[in-house]
Order: sequence, then C-alpha cells, then structure tokens
Amino acid sequence: MAFRYQEQMKTIFYNIVSLIGVAVLWSLFSWWQNSPFFPSPRAIWVAFVGLVSKGDVEGIGLGLHIWKSLVRIFAGFSAACVLGIPLGLLMGLYPKLYNRTRSVIEPVRFIPPIAWIPVAIVLLVGFSRYAFLIWLGAFFPIFITTLLSVTRVNPVHINVAKVFGASRLYIVRKIVFPSVLPDIATGMRVGLGIAWMCIVAAEMIGGEMVGIGRLILKYAELIRMAEIIVGMLVIGIIGFIMNEIFIIVERRIFRWRSQVSID
Amino acid sequence: MGKELVDVNISHKFNGMSILEDINFKVNENEFLVIVGPTGCGKTTMANLLAGLVKPTDGGVTMNGEVISPKIHNISFVFQEPSCIPWRTLWDDIVIGLEIKKADPQTVDQRGKKVIQLVGLEGYEDYFPWQISGGMKQRVAIARAYATDPDFLLMDEPFGHLDAQTRYLMQIEIMRVWEKEKKTVVFITNNIEEAVYLATRIIVLSKLPARIKGEYHININRPRDLTSPEFLNMRLEITKQCEVVE
Repeated sequence: MAFRYQEQMKTIFYNIVSLIGVAVLWSLFSWWQNSPFFPSPRAIWVAFVGLVSKGDVEGIGLGLHIWKSLVRIFAGFSAACVLGIPLGLLMGLYPKLYNRTRSVIEPVRFIPPIAWIPVAIVLLVGFSRYAFLIWLGAFFPIFITTLLSVTRVNPVHINVAKVFGASRLYIVRKIVFPSVLPDIATGMRVGLGIAWMCIVAAEMIGGEMVGIGRLILKYAELIRMAEIIVGMLVIGIIGFIMNEIFIIVERRIFRWRSQVSID
Repeated sequence: MGKELVDVNISHKFNGMSILEDINFKVNENEFLVIVGPTGCGKTTMANLLAGLVKPTDGGVTMNGEVISPKIHNISFVFQEPSCIPWRTLWDDIVIGLEIKKADPQTVDQRGKKVIQLVGLEGYEDYFPWQISGGMKQRVAIARAYATDPDFLLMDEPFGHLDAQTRYLMQIEIMRVWEKEKKTVVFITNNIEEAVYLATRIIVLSKLPARIKGEYHININRPRDLTSPEFLNMRLEITKQCEVVE
C-alpha cells in the first residue's frame, strides 16, 4: 500500500514536471521568435484573465462560452448513447440484422462529421445542428464497441445460465449486459473524446456567437493567437477532466475486474 | 444399482462429418459413470448432447422418458474451461442456478451455505474470480453445479486445465463431495487413472467417429489406492483397450 502511494506521488510529480517543462520550452520559443503569432505562456494567461473578467470582443465571458459548449456536447453525446447502446446491443444479439444492413451502416462511419456540415446547414436549424454534428462523432464508437462486445461474450458464461434452464431474457439481462458493460464504458469514453473534437466544426455552423469553438473562430478572424490558444487549452483541459472522472467512475463500477487497465 | 435415469441413444454428425456413431447406454441413478476417450473424439460434443444444449442429428437422449432439456429437467454442468462469472462474487456465482430456477431466498441461503462448506470455500463468499486460484475456480464450478441439487450432473473434463497436483487433490475432493451427497454423475475425461479412481462404471470411447469400445464396472473399495494391484490392473486393462487398433 505504501509502495502504491509512493508510486502515485511519483506519477503526479512527473506529470507536473512535464507540464513545467513544456511551459519553459514554450516560453523560450516565443521569446526567441518574438512574434505575435507565438504568444508566451504569460501572454496566454493574460488573455485568459481578460476573457474571464471582461469577456471576448462582444463582451461574452469565458464561463458562458464553456457552459454553452458543455450543454451542446452533453446533448449530442447523450443522443449518441441513447441510440448507440441499444442499437449496438440489438444488432449484436441479432447479427443478421447487422450483416444485412452492413452496406448501409458501415460507409456512413467513414464520412467525417465536417463533411456533413453542408447537409446540416440545409436540413437543420439552431441547436439541432450542434447536437447532430456532435452526435455523428460520438455515435459510431459507442455503437461499434457495443456491437462487437456482444459478439465476444464468453459462450461458457451463456452456457452456465442455459444449462440451468435460463430464459433468453435472463441471459441478455444477467450475462450479456454485465459482460458488455465495461466495453460500453470504453466506447462512451472514446465517443466523448470525439464529441469534443467535433465542437469547433459544430459551432462553425450553429449560428450563435457563443461557445468555445465559436470563441476560437472569432479570434481566428482577428488573428489573435493568445485567445485562440486559451480556447484550445480550455477544450483540452475540460476533455481531460471529463475523461479522468469517467475513469474513476469506471474503476468504482467495475471493481470486479482485475487490475483495470484503462489508463 | 439404482433405477435407470437417462437413456442415451444417439448418432451425431457435424458439418456432414460423423462425430458419434451408435452411442447407446443408460445412466443409472446415483452412479458415477465415467466416459473415457482420446482427445478430439467428440467428448465435449457428447457432454453438450447429454445436457440437451445441442440436439443430436440422429436419435435422442431421454431422462425419465422425456427428451432431455434444461428447461424441464434439473441438470447441472461443470464445464471444461474456467466458467466463473467475472462480475459475480463467489457466492452470487454459486447460487446462480437457484436464482434462475427462482428458488425462495431461504433455500438459496441454506443450499448456498451448504455447498460452500461442501467444497471448502467458507470465507471466500465475497471474493471475485480474479482473486482466487484455478483450483478454487473449479471448486466454485462444482459448488454451483451441486447447489441446485441436480438430478443429473455432467462434468466435462472438469480438471483438464489444472496442474497434476491440484488435479489429484480435486479428484479426492470430488469423491468426498459425491460420497456425502450422492448424485447421478456422468464424468467425461481422457485420463484413465482419473477414470478408474472415480468411476463406479467406465465407458470407453474410440477415436473419431466415436463408438463405444468397452464397458467396465469398477468395484474397488474407496478411497481407492492409486498404486494397489487391482487398481493398476484395471488401469492396464483399459489402457490396452484404448490402444487396440481397429
């Protein structure tokens, strides 16, 4: 136990060292370049404080930008879970359903969300545009991992139930579902990552002037790198925090797994 | 000898290839019938057929006159591969059969405690499978099979994955459990020594397609001594039978 604690402290220490290292290198580089296109960490900090206290060029605070983006991510991601998990389970349990619709499903998977922008603009309005693009990004990892996981359930576990005369419903509820749950969680984690990656694309077409992606685009037009980098870092850090929370929750729920190797 | 319980009368093909040919035998109540056969002779297929998990292409298996089915009959199965359910504690795993058969909580509690004691897993009720050894996992599988108080208990090479020493200990263990609580058992193995040690009767299968090559009643007193002359004689006889070229 003491050893594990020590190991954790070491991990935290080295992470801090890495962060400081990158900041130092970054400072040196921007000092050497001495250009408005390579703002120093200090300048980025100043931009951050400015965005928080005074807001952006239109007076919209960073907090509101973050909040709006979070709501959109949550909407798109939830829709992806609500559709992806049951559909993955269904098609995993009835592989014929998947095999016979494969030619419809699979090609869609390879169309990048950005390519859907014109379609989204034509067909959708307002909030649904954001939700749709984020949903597109998050849906497939969730759907595909669930689907594949169902086909990989250990047949012995199914037979254990079968030999006691278990119904199909029992097998699905008590054997298949718990056994795919960890994979669903992994799919959700991947999906969440991709949802964040889609936020800029989604906010390009959403119309509203608020959101982290929109913030980046606004300052891109003004070529103000410090604010752009603040936006980028905010996305990175929030995504990181969400992922960490996810991992902690997974560890709690799936305590039955041996050393959960998800980090 | 008890009355006839299971009547086996099967031939089975898989993808057009004959696996089992004219396998006819009966299983009597409370006997410990061991089926011995070389690796790859269709033993696992036979176990699945006997449990009603797979339907034979020809003939059938009946229990008390009815076609065998896990939905009707009280069957238990100890699988060859490790079968502990990873997300269940040992306790929850052991009582899964009772849960499926919707036993009342009192029975679950009583039966669960009894079989845990029977296989010597007291104190491990709240462990998860990854925390225990291979031998213990097989004990869980046996306890789980016993928990439902089955009328017919199938064991498909249950010790095949264990190391020699654990295997030997488990053989002693399974005999101890069986003598305490007699069940009708069909035990499948490729190990002749194991067969002679456990069986009241042995059926020897040939290579693929499997046919019945011989049948032996083993009347050696228990606990059996692996090195006694009568044990070794029996072992030799069956080994010879297995080596006969057809």
